[in-house]
Amino acid sequence: MEAMVEAAIWFWLPLILVPIGFWLAISGRGEKGGKILAGLGLILVMASPWTVPSSDSTAAGHLLLAILGPTLLLAYGLHGMIFGGEVPVGKLDNSARWSGALAVGSSIFFMGMMHWSTFTPIWRGQVNPYWMVFWPTFLMFGTSLCSAAGVALTGFGDDRNKEATNLILASIILAAIALAAMFIDGSNTSAGEFRNHLWSAAADILGTVAGAGAAIATFAIVIWAYERSLPDPENSPPPSDEEIKHVVSLADAHLDGGEEE
Amino acid sequence: MKQPRTSWNILLLALLLPILLLVAINITIGNAHSTETFKRFGNALLTSFIIMGILLLGNLIAYADSRHRPAAPLVGMLAAITVGILLTVALVSYSDLLLESNSGVRSQILSNIVRLLVSGSAMAIAGVLAVGLTFAAITGRPRRVLFYEEE
Repeated sequence: MEAMVEAAIWFWLPLILVPIGFWLAISGRGEKGGKILAGLGLILVMASPWTVPSSDSTAAGHLLLAILGPTLLLAYGLHGMIFGGEVPVGKLDNSARWSGALAVGSSIFFMGMMHWSTFTPIWRGQVNPYWMVFWPTFLMFGTSLCSAAGVALTGFGDDRNKEATNLILASIILAAIALAAMFIDGSNTSAGEFRNHLWSAAADILGTVAGAGAAIATFAIVIWAYERSLPDPENSPPPSDEEIKHVVSLADAHLDGGEEE
Repeated sequence: MKQPRTSWNILLLALLLPILLLVAINITIGNAHSTETFKRFGNALLTSFIIMGILLLGNLIAYADSRHRPAAPLVGMLAAITVGILLTVALVSYSDLLLESNSGVRSQILSNIVRLLVSGSAMAIAGVLAVGLTFAAITGRPRRVLFYEEE
């Protein structure tokens, strides 16, 4: 019982704080407080392997901490790549594009090393069970989104074939990494294990997208049904003589333009 | 107005094709799906529906502020979430339809939430990568001249 209470205080409560904090920050009801709350919740979740080591759920916190470095490197790299290009505001030095691309490449390379080399997240003496959830899901969803972005750019954009080709190339690289993981064993992981988890990753992606889509559809239906039940707004009364005079005087003041030079 | 050269169907195909391709290769080399895959799909769907529903419930409060705080949408959304929770409990309990390698209903539900946290993070990071690369590709091209000055 004590272990459950500890897990509730040190893992589940901080986990709940993250979406609450985000919501407060986004809704504008307490932007700074919301960010602090979400950040604090995330830090406590990532620290859970130390604060509540007895709980199995802390493997997720351990994994989030393990991927924090590559994720920050990825975000830094993308920022450099975007703002090192042709942007109207906040343009960085041109070299930011190359250093950004290098950072993105390094981030993906480091994640690859986490799978094949000895950097694999180890939890309780074994490979973190959630690593095999994270890695195939990331690769599959990444290749899928890059492919869709490429098709969208070439289809909906104007003369965007070169940019679309780059995105399709990114999609192929991510797919190639997934294929390599399906055939090449790592120091701590095996190709067979990855292949087994590939099914779960596909199920996770499709299930999560379908579930979130169903929730959004329910939300839309609930609001639509309520709005439809509302009575039509009453017609406002016609303008009074005084209001019409005021409008005419305003129109008069603006219709008489200056003389042509 | 310029006609788009693609349709939403092609976009959907581009979204699904890489996943289907990887899964097809997986089948070809002898890794057929198991009942666990369907359990995972069902659990992911229901968990994502409930969690997303709870997050959207927060948005309904903001919506209510602009509409004299009506209770009907809030009750409707709460009812939908409750149905989702009851369905999860029923399907996990009944003949272990959605029970994976967990000891019971409670541990399965907690495991679902933790798994969603991890797979959701993976999907979010992949999303950041794809959106980031798209913008990087767009901003990588020199700005085009839209209007030429008349001499």
